Amino acid sequence: MVAVTTSKDTRKRKQAPQEEVTNERNGLNGASNLEMHSDDEDGEEIGSDDGEVEDFPEIDVASDSEEDEESEEDEEEADESGEGDSDDSDLHIFPKPKTIVSDITGRPKRVYPEIEPDYDSDSSTEDTPNRVGDVPMHWYDDLPHIGYDINGKQVLRPARGDELDKFLKTVDDPDAWTSAFDKNMQGDKALSPQELDIIRRLYEGENPDAQYDPYEPTIEWFTGKGKEEVMPLSAAPEPKRRWIGSKWEKKKIMKIVRAIRQGRIIPNKPKTKESKFQFYSIWSEPPSSHPPPLPAPKPSLPTNSESYNPPEEYLPTDAERAEWQATDPEDRERNYLPQKYSSLRLVPGYDQFIKERFNRQLDLYLAPRIQRTKINIDPNTLIPKLPSPSSLKPFPTYKSLTFTHARGRVRALSISPDGAWALSGDEDGVVSLWEVNVGKEIKRWKFESKIGSLDWCPRSDVTYFVVGVDDTLHFIIPPNLPSAIFSATQSSLAPATLPPPSAIPSPVKWVSNSSSDLSILKVELPPSSGTPTQITWHRRGDYMSTVSSGGGVWIHQISRRHSQAPFKKVRGSVQLVLFHPTKPHFFVATQQYVRIYNLSEQKLLKTLMPGIRWISSMDVHPSGDHLIVGGYDRKLCWFDLELSDKPYKVMRYHVKAIRSLHFHPTYPLFASSSDDGAIQIFHARVYNDLMTDPLIVPLKILRGHTVKDGLGVLQVRWCNRQPWLISSGADGAVNVWCS
Amino acid sequence: MGRLRQKGKAGAAKAYITRTSAIKKLQCSLADFRRLCILKGIFPREPRSRKKANKGSSAPTSFYYTKDIAYLAHEPVLRKLREHKAFAKKLSRALGRGEWSSAKTLEDNKPVYKLDHIIKERYPTFIDALRDIDDALCMAFLFASLPSNSRLPPELIENCTRLASEWQLYIMHTRCLRKVFLSIKGVYYQAEVMDQSITWLVPYQFTQSIPPDVDVRVMLTFLELYQTLLGFVFFKLYADAGFAYPPPLDTQKDEGAAGVGAFSLQTVMRSVQAAPSKSETIGKKVSGKEVRQTIKSIDASTDQDMEVDPSPTQDTVADIEEEFVVHPSSTDPQSSAALPTLHSLFALPQTAQTSLFSPYTFWLSRETSRPVFEFLVRSFGGRIGWPASSGGGSAFGEDDESITHVIIDRPLIEMTPEERQRRTRRKYVQPQWIVDCINAGKILLEEPYAQGKTLPPHLSPFGERAGAYDPTEAVPDVAEAESEAESEEEEAVIQAEEEEEEEEGKQALRAAADVAADDAGALRAAELAAEAAGVDYDAFEKEVSKSRKKAKKVAVEDKDADAEQDMNKMLMSNKQRKLYERIKHSQGKRNTERTKLEERKKNLVKQKKCEAKA
Repeated sequence: MVAVTTSKDTRKRKQAPQEEVTNERNGLNGASNLEMHSDDEDGEEIGSDDGEVEDFPEIDVASDSEEDEESEEDEEEADESGEGDSDDSDLHIFPKPKTIVSDITGRPKRVYPEIEPDYDSDSSTEDTPNRVGDVPMHWYDDLPHIGYDINGKQVLRPARGDELDKFLKTVDDPDAWTSAFDKNMQGDKALSPQELDIIRRLYEGENPDAQYDPYEPTIEWFTGKGKEEVMPLSAAPEPKRRWIGSKWEKKKIMKIVRAIRQGRIIPNKPKTKESKFQFYSIWSEPPSSHPPPLPAPKPSLPTNSESYNPPEEYLPTDAERAEWQATDPEDRERNYLPQKYSSLRLVPGYDQFIKERFNRQLDLYLAPRIQRTKINIDPNTLIPKLPSPSSLKPFPTYKSLTFTHARGRVRALSISPDGAWALSGDEDGVVSLWEVNVGKEIKRWKFESKIGSLDWCPRSDVTYFVVGVDDTLHFIIPPNLPSAIFSATQSSLAPATLPPPSAIPSPVKWVSNSSSDLSILKVELPPSSGTPTQITWHRRGDYMSTVSSGGGVWIHQISRRHSQAPFKKVRGSVQLVLFHPTKPHFFVATQQYVRIYNLSEQKLLKTLMPGIRWISSMDVHPSGDHLIVGGYDRKLCWFDLELSDKPYKVMRYHVKAIRSLHFHPTYPLFASSSDDGAIQIFHARVYNDLMTDPLIVPLKILRGHTVKDGLGVLQVRWCNRQPWLISSGADGAVNVWCS
Repeated sequence: MGRLRQKGKAGAAKAYITRTSAIKKLQCSLADFRRLCILKGIFPREPRSRKKANKGSSAPTSFYYTKDIAYLAHEPVLRKLREHKAFAKKLSRALGRGEWSSAKTLEDNKPVYKLDHIIKERYPTFIDALRDIDDALCMAFLFASLPSNSRLPPELIENCTRLASEWQLYIMHTRCLRKVFLSIKGVYYQAEVMDQSITWLVPYQFTQSIPPDVDVRVMLTFLELYQTLLGFVFFKLYADAGFAYPPPLDTQKDEGAAGVGAFSLQTVMRSVQAAPSKSETIGKKVSGKEVRQTIKSIDASTDQDMEVDPSPTQDTVADIEEEFVVHPSSTDPQSSAALPTLHSLFALPQTAQTSLFSPYTFWLSRETSRPVFEFLVRSFGGRIGWPASSGGGSAFGEDDESITHVIIDRPLIEMTPEERQRRTRRKYVQPQWIVDCINAGKILLEEPYAQGKTLPPHLSPFGERAGAYDPTEAVPDVAEAESEAESEEEEAVIQAEEEEEEEEGKQALRAAADVAADDAGALRAAELAAEAAGVDYDAFEKEVSKSRKKAKKVAVEDKDADAEQDMNKMLMSNKQRKLYERIKHSQGKRNTERTKLEERKKNLVKQKKCEAKA
């Protein structure tokens, strides 16, 4: 009834036009309204209404809302619990009837509760007019009727409005959205609240049955007090082992018991005795024969600077302190900074103490130990003990005079065999002949291009020299010669009868021109062979070898006026060649190796490997058993030719590339010159017995040349009979060094 | 053709083993391996060629000797470690199942390894062990000062404290402390026991905290070994000195913070007869007759000992014994029985300086560190007392008349007349005095060390390396020379200004010329001075050139010698040259260090002079 009144209120409020509204719809509307009310009102009203609802169960087919139902149920349950805990109370096999006094008759009557259209309810009892059954309704699509009723009469198709009607209906009828199309009846049918509730439940994934309680209390059928059922699983008699003890267990136990009795096992040993370790005299028995392991090195003892009150000079300056703090702890020389405290009580705890102990332990077990012999030697004992240079005199010590070429570097230098005359040729093409003793220039020759090399003929009966310029060798006789020597020279260079030409044709041309004052004889090397960079004589003075800048090696025989190339093919570019002073051997220095050939047998004897990147100079000892090789990589190698093809001694003392080397022909001296502008004089004594090593003593460093364009002293030569040295440099100076 | 040699079957590849493969071979964890290495003293080796040892690989690894690892495989400790692993598994299973009783049984029968065989193996003789206890002592003293926490159980700390005290007790009684050094890191002590110098470092009394980058497990493993080692070494030392080991601890004193004083040395019977008498005394069934008998027997035994052991100090010992024998009734048998073994104590070699402080009685002021100075004074025969605030066990109070020195470390303040009166009788010194006396081996003057005075520098008694800067000498004469030169120059100038006698002026001039010959600035100054002095320029020139020549001659000679040496260096082999250069480099470094310090000292002296003048 309340539902009706409330629905009336809404209608009044809305002022909507009255329409025939079914009870069901009222109820539904009311229910939705009810939810809007505040709870207390609700509760009261519901409480007051309950009785009425029960009073009129018939009318209330659709109006009873969910809440009503629940409250009803609650009441029911309460009633039931009040009635007693019968087992049947839970079983709703059939709804219990209520006995009430009829209003009409005034007599008691039984009223059964409303049957809800649930799953439980039997829909077959519903009175549906169409009785066609469950057949596809499209069979009737073309027919005016939609089926037959119970009496076999046609049920006519209800009139269906057009779309506009439908729309109007939805507008007018607020309940249109709760109706569904009934296929059977071919018309809209409003859904009951129960059905809506089911739909809602299905939407929310709940159990569609509103009555279903997922948390029902369990019913103990066979458990619990008094309901146990004792049912033996088998009828077998109980085995013997159930009441007789195990033999084996007994044996084991007896074993332990015996052990305890004999005292082998002490049960519940006193703990203290076990944990307390007893020390004993471990070193009383004699030690094993094993040597003891190496003891760990002890840490170094503290020094003055670690004192709490060190002398003030030990205290670090601010810069030192900052430096110490900036370095990594591993790289520090000391792991502490000296500090000074005026008294002992002010000394703080040392915060690195544990860390240092830990580091010591890491050293002990992680650091590999190496036994190192401590070298405690005077470094000066490492320097080889050599005889004093003053005891090895004479050797050149000072510069006695300088002969200067005005222009150009003096690359070529030669001393006459008697040691009185010097020849020097510069890059400007000037060759000067001057006296060694006074430095007076006697004669000057001018060539058109730079002088590659020049050399005196070593013969004593004749006097001439050879100048290498531009693919040509000029044979020149110096002026002011005694007539006998001059004639001998003339006859040897330009004999009256020329020797017969060689059978093998040579590309080298020998041209004599006695008319020219420049040269008496010219040897024209094949064109474009380059400037002859080296001219070297055989000791007898008949053979002469030249090396051109192009790499060609020629051996010229003066007496036969013949030139020949000793090698068909040379591996590497030839830098230098030398004749052996006593044997028919020929040294050829390529860029990295020195090869020794036997000229008479025409074969390779030996290859020396100095280990120099680029050989610059080479000279052979007058005895012929030793060879020195200098390189642009500052190395000087001394070879003992009897010994090995590896150097006997390698020295590196020049700051820059070695340019020239020369052995003194008679004195045990040799000199080396370098691009650093220094000349190094060595004493080099060679012994006849094979057991004694050659003695090499550095004697003197001569400095006097200036370095020009990175070039220093280009050539050094010894005077034949004096311990005098003549050196020519890139500065155009030719110095004579005397002892 | 011989047999084919396979690679990696001989030589370095076989002799060395990497750590990973060593662990694999021993089938233990890295932690266990580390533990074994620490205990057994096995350390990595550096093979001559790492590549050969590592089968061609040059990856950074640490190598061990294969034989070392092979010996490790039979190590009983390794077996125990494996047992412990099994035990840990069993225990955790029992705990997980809630089987408490079986867990308890397991816990009771936990495998524990002993280290005595390792001690014997690593140190076959006692001297070997004694030589190696430096680190052990450091660790014991360090851990004695640490607070206990969950990683450091209190028993461990207690044991370390006990070991430290035992060592100090031994040192004090045998008077074998030699050197002490108060450094910023702590106090270094050096003792000479059985001809071995043992140095140990004790931190100052501050609470240390273990930094987070220190692996405590490593330290504890080392400590495990060190505790055992120290135990055995002390046992032997005490036994040789005739004392019982471990010395009994007076718990009451210990609780009163008596420190070393809580332990007392107890002599033990060495003769066979002495043993029953001891048991009898314990049993309290001693009759006078028995006492007399035992004394007689002891007397006999000591006589025998004396014959065996003719040491110079025996006479005094015998005297003492005789004294005690004369009055046996006053002593209880135990003390009389204790006497004969004392001779072993005195048998140790003693020098005069070991009883340095014996005529004196010291009183420690409250702010000085009691453990340090008690140890120092007592180990040099002095008596020492301290206020109750520094701990219990002081033999006398502050008002004792016998006190001769007070070690005090606070600034001078106003005194009460009573105090002043007391001061006249006592000498108040700063703590450094004690240490310097010990290092000097004699009693130094107290005056420079008096209270409130600026202390003289405290130098290391261990000395510096040979040729290093010595702060005690060399500097004054340098300073003097310089000052002389300075004064001479000054004199010269002054004299020249005053235009006094010519000769003197000339002399001065010569000096000036000498000085100035090699310095252009100085030359000009000298010239001016000469002009002012009225000396003619020619004379001056002559003088200067003469001195220059002289200098040049010397220089030339020097140069010649140097040049010769330099030339001879050409003929050195590469190896020799490198060695030479290395030595020269280190020498140069040392020399610069030395000259730097000397320079600073000079400056300081100058500064001080200036201040004194001002």
